[in-house]
Amino acid sequence: MRHIWIIFRRELAQYFSSPIAYFVAFAVILLMGFTFNDDLAARNGRAPVDPALPLIYLAQFSVFFVPLLTMRLLAEENREGTLELLMTLPLQDYQIVIGKFLGAWAYYTLLISLTLVHQALLLWLNPADFGVAFAAYIGLWLFGGASIAVGLFFSALNENQIVAAFLGMAALLILWQADLVGNVLNNRALAEFVRSLSFQSNYSYSFAIGIVRLDHTVFFLGVTGILLLATAQIVQSRRWR
Amino acid sequence: MIKVESLTKRYGRFMALRGISFQAESGEILGFLGPNGAGKTTTMRILTGYMPPTSGRAFVADYDVFMDSLEVRKRVGYLPETVPLYPDMSVHGYVKYIAELRSVPQAASRADDVLRLVGMHTRRDSLIRNISKGMRQRVGLAQALVHDPQVLILDEPTIGLDPRQTLEVRELVRSLGKTHTIMFSTHILSEAEQVCDRVVIIHRGEIVAMDKPEALRDQLQQGARLFVRVGKAPSAEAVRKALLNIAGVAEVTPLQEAFSVAARRGVDVRGRIASAISAAGWELLELRPLAMSLEEIFLELTVQQDQSA
Repeated sequence: MRHIWIIFRRELAQYFSSPIAYFVAFAVILLMGFTFNDDLAARNGRAPVDPALPLIYLAQFSVFFVPLLTMRLLAEENREGTLELLMTLPLQDYQIVIGKFLGAWAYYTLLISLTLVHQALLLWLNPADFGVAFAAYIGLWLFGGASIAVGLFFSALNENQIVAAFLGMAALLILWQADLVGNVLNNRALAEFVRSLSFQSNYSYSFAIGIVRLDHTVFFLGVTGILLLATAQIVQSRRWR
Repeated sequence: MIKVESLTKRYGRFMALRGISFQAESGEILGFLGPNGAGKTTTMRILTGYMPPTSGRAFVADYDVFMDSLEVRKRVGYLPETVPLYPDMSVHGYVKYIAELRSVPQAASRADDVLRLVGMHTRRDSLIRNISKGMRQRVGLAQALVHDPQVLILDEPTIGLDPRQTLEVRELVRSLGKTHTIMFSTHILSEAEQVCDRVVIIHRGEIVAMDKPEALRDQLQQGARLFVRVGKAPSAEAVRKALLNIAGVAEVTPLQEAFSVAARRGVDVRGRIASAISAAGWELLELRPLAMSLEEIFLELTVQQDQSA
């Protein structure tokens, strides 16, 4: 536990000394500001504002920005040779992976909490539905964890950060749009399986309308867990090469 | 302190180690000498618990490196060939991080102590990306020392350093050798001679020689070539013939205004050369052993092995 905590602390601190993390934060705030503003303007006087709407956009953006946050995590250690050092320290391989995952997740949490300012504005404008906002944030947080696990997985597979980021984006895009992918498949059983992997339908049709469903919660946690396990295996496999 | 028993390592079809065995006693500096690709790094990676051997066993402080990997890792400080540093961290932050991961009590002050030991405390707040190669090497060394390990494993710690830095690192290793068991790899013969109590020479995954450096040198010197320069001789050809006539001389190769003389194994021909030259009425201007390159040494040692086999 101590080891995970030490690695977590370094990884989180690393984000605050890295320009990429600041660029990502800047881009997220900017984009969220635009969408929030648009949404307010479109509904002005016609309908109450949906507090979850900016978060659906944010989930969609995550597909592109989360791999930018995770690409460094293992690819850089691999290239700089620091992974060799970590693997000869008295700690277990999975502790490295979990520490890094939690560091990235914590930064993601900070990032999405920046959008709380929009919620505060909504609250000031009109009585908002707290429950929906709360569920949407829980969902977005779980969604982020699963996305980070995807990104981390590709970062472990690859020494090149750019390739890791690109593969992460491609995988997340497919997972986000898995409904559409399922639609073009001939085999019904396979199609249903692929559709059930959709990050979008596991988020937008439950959390984003204020429902915290057990199966969708388990889905995101399960994806996270399985990918972390796979990542730990990849790291460990370096010993046997 | 270190015990290695018929260790082999296979990467796919490539045999990196072919059953090597050696030991290092506590407080000994063991030099690990060999050309690139000889298996030095592989052996060190096995000893540090980074990768398991294909067969054979290795022990550090009586713990099996495979079965009790974590116990071994607690007792070993390791400096890999490419110094493992985080460019974005400060010198002190990095050493402190490793100290914390190694559960060293009072990590921050201990990090300062080792930085003082390697002479890097004046740059403790510099970012690692901004320090020179020699300094990086020393920070890497600080990291390996931070938990005061019983065994230090250093993979080519002087590679890429300028001569002064090389000397400093050698000094440091020698002073650490009084209290630690050190395994030190290099491909520079003279470095192994200067620093180590005992040298293991490894070539193509096999140990070709293992002895004290002086003993190894004597053994190697016998097969070494001599550099001979003669003045006042009528012609180079005359000198060559005269040299060839000396008992014990196996071969004479003309160099630019000089000769390289190879003696038969185990025969010291220096005295005979000197007297033969002066008997002919010429002047002996220079007579010295030709320094052997590492490649020649391996050639020599592998030939010896073949002959004794």
